[in-house]
Amino acid sequence: MTSTHSQTQGPAITVSGLRKAYGDVEAVRGVSFEVARGEVFCLLGPNGAGKTTTVEILEGYRFRTGGDVRVLGRDPAAGERELREAVGIVLQQCGVQQDLTVRELVEMYGRYHEPSRPVDEVIALVELTEKRDVRAKNLSGGQRRRLDLALALVGDPELIFLDEPTTGFDPAARRQAWATIKSLCALGKTIFLTTHFMDEAQALADRVAVMRGGEIIASGRPDEIGGRDLRPAEIRFALPPSWSLGDIPDVPSVGREIQADRVTVFTREPVVASHEITTWALEHDVELAHFSVTQPTLEDIYLELTGSRDQHEMTNQEVVR
Amino acid sequence: MSALLSPALKRDLGLVGWQIRYEQRSYWRNRGRGIFTFVFPLMFLVIFGALDKGQTLSTRGGIPYDDFFVPGILAYGVIATTFVNMAISTAILRDEGILKRMQGTPLPRWAYVAARIGSTLLIVGGITVVTLGIGAIAYGVDIPASTFPALIVTLALGTAAFTTLGIGVTRFIPNSEAAPVIINLVVLPLTFISSIWFPTDNMPKALVQIAKVFPIRALADGLQYVLDPRTVGAGFNAQDLRTLAIWTIAGVFLMLRFLRRPLGEAA
Repeated sequence: MTSTHSQTQGPAITVSGLRKAYGDVEAVRGVSFEVARGEVFCLLGPNGAGKTTTVEILEGYRFRTGGDVRVLGRDPAAGERELREAVGIVLQQCGVQQDLTVRELVEMYGRYHEPSRPVDEVIALVELTEKRDVRAKNLSGGQRRRLDLALALVGDPELIFLDEPTTGFDPAARRQAWATIKSLCALGKTIFLTTHFMDEAQALADRVAVMRGGEIIASGRPDEIGGRDLRPAEIRFALPPSWSLGDIPDVPSVGREIQADRVTVFTREPVVASHEITTWALEHDVELAHFSVTQPTLEDIYLELTGSRDQHEMTNQEVVR
Repeated sequence: MSALLSPALKRDLGLVGWQIRYEQRSYWRNRGRGIFTFVFPLMFLVIFGALDKGQTLSTRGGIPYDDFFVPGILAYGVIATTFVNMAISTAILRDEGILKRMQGTPLPRWAYVAARIGSTLLIVGGITVVTLGIGAIAYGVDIPASTFPALIVTLALGTAAFTTLGIGVTRFIPNSEAAPVIINLVVLPLTFISSIWFPTDNMPKALVQIAKVFPIRALADGLQYVLDPRTVGAGFNAQDLRTLAIWTIAGVFLMLRFLRRPLGEAA
């Protein structure tokens, strides 16, 4: 059980000034970040942002055209076996030997690693024990995805790449997968996650980075990224026709707007502001339908950062019209 | 012998052994593949045996037709198992991302390729034993001990050429759906001018010259020479073996070109 795997010191992943060009097109333009050991790091971004290219360079599937990359202290482009011993990969869409059973596959992929985890334990971890003698081609989409995870885990890797691991899962299966991923963190594994689901990033990631146009445009903790914690809260409600925006008391706010009958008040003191508004409403017997107080979600910040926000709202308005 | 191998290499050879078992299990569980590579040649064997019952070949000194078509169909079986099956299944492995997945594991690439080839060799061995066994028992084909080494060498060289070509040719197959069409478009017409199904002794010279460039005729003709009752001596057909050797070199070159390309970059 000697850890010939890799250097155990230093960050799990270091990327500096990473570039990748396909002909004249630069898919990745100078990306830098670091992933600490034991951290869950999440890369977000719209399709074509350069996410997959970045991940596949880290996994050793693609070669960079510039910059430096270290994964567990090694250059993934060298294709060293020691690195492949220490890394588990769940690719986005990836076939498996269709005619072998779950058990045979986990056993087969386990043999490539020295040491590996017990086959039955890994199958139990991804909750496929009942399906252990079923051939891969007869598994459902969600079960296939869990098999992918099992094949990545059987080598007992230090670092796990998960490329959209829960795509195609129903909500219950997603929660289960999250629990499995969290249990991996508890074992001290480092996880590099890419996802389209903001709630997934929110639930799992210690840190997120948002890519757009081949660059990282923001990074940080999920609740702080893009100044999320500094944004004003939004108080929303519907104002009955007999009242106008000017009738509402002058609560502490950074702005207010009305669209049709819908009022939005932006405030950095949501407790005080909502208290004053609701007090006024009760005193004047005004029914404020759809009353809510919200902090911008990770999704709001993401859409703003990636510039899909305007488009998004435009389509909404078109639908209303 | 085993003392000469380093522990790491011994472990990798053990992995090759295990991988051959998994490849075999996959192979035999996939019925379509089994039918294409195993049942087809046997079916042809029975059909030709019935059609040509008792006939002789006047262009070849009146030897029984059985002595011609049994080695011809053995050649077809070898080509179907190695070239056709290897090319189609490698294209599928590539398109489904299985090659990519394997590349991400610590299993050395050479070990995986060795296991795929090893598994194919087992099937070639099986096809050979069954075809020649039926040929000997049902059609009275004589397999003399004197030409046995030539039989093995011709089969080995043919298998080497078609296996490496089968892997290497994957580079020219755009997707796995097109693979059976492309491969059969290359192989099937050639079999008709390559002395697989019937003798090409009376065929126009130009067609024979074309067929002689390709390895299909070389393997069929080489095996037919080995099993021809008129053959005296060891049964090595130098011209056929030379053609097969040249194609083996080309096959190894193409195979290495295909295998060296990083899979992510290919996508």
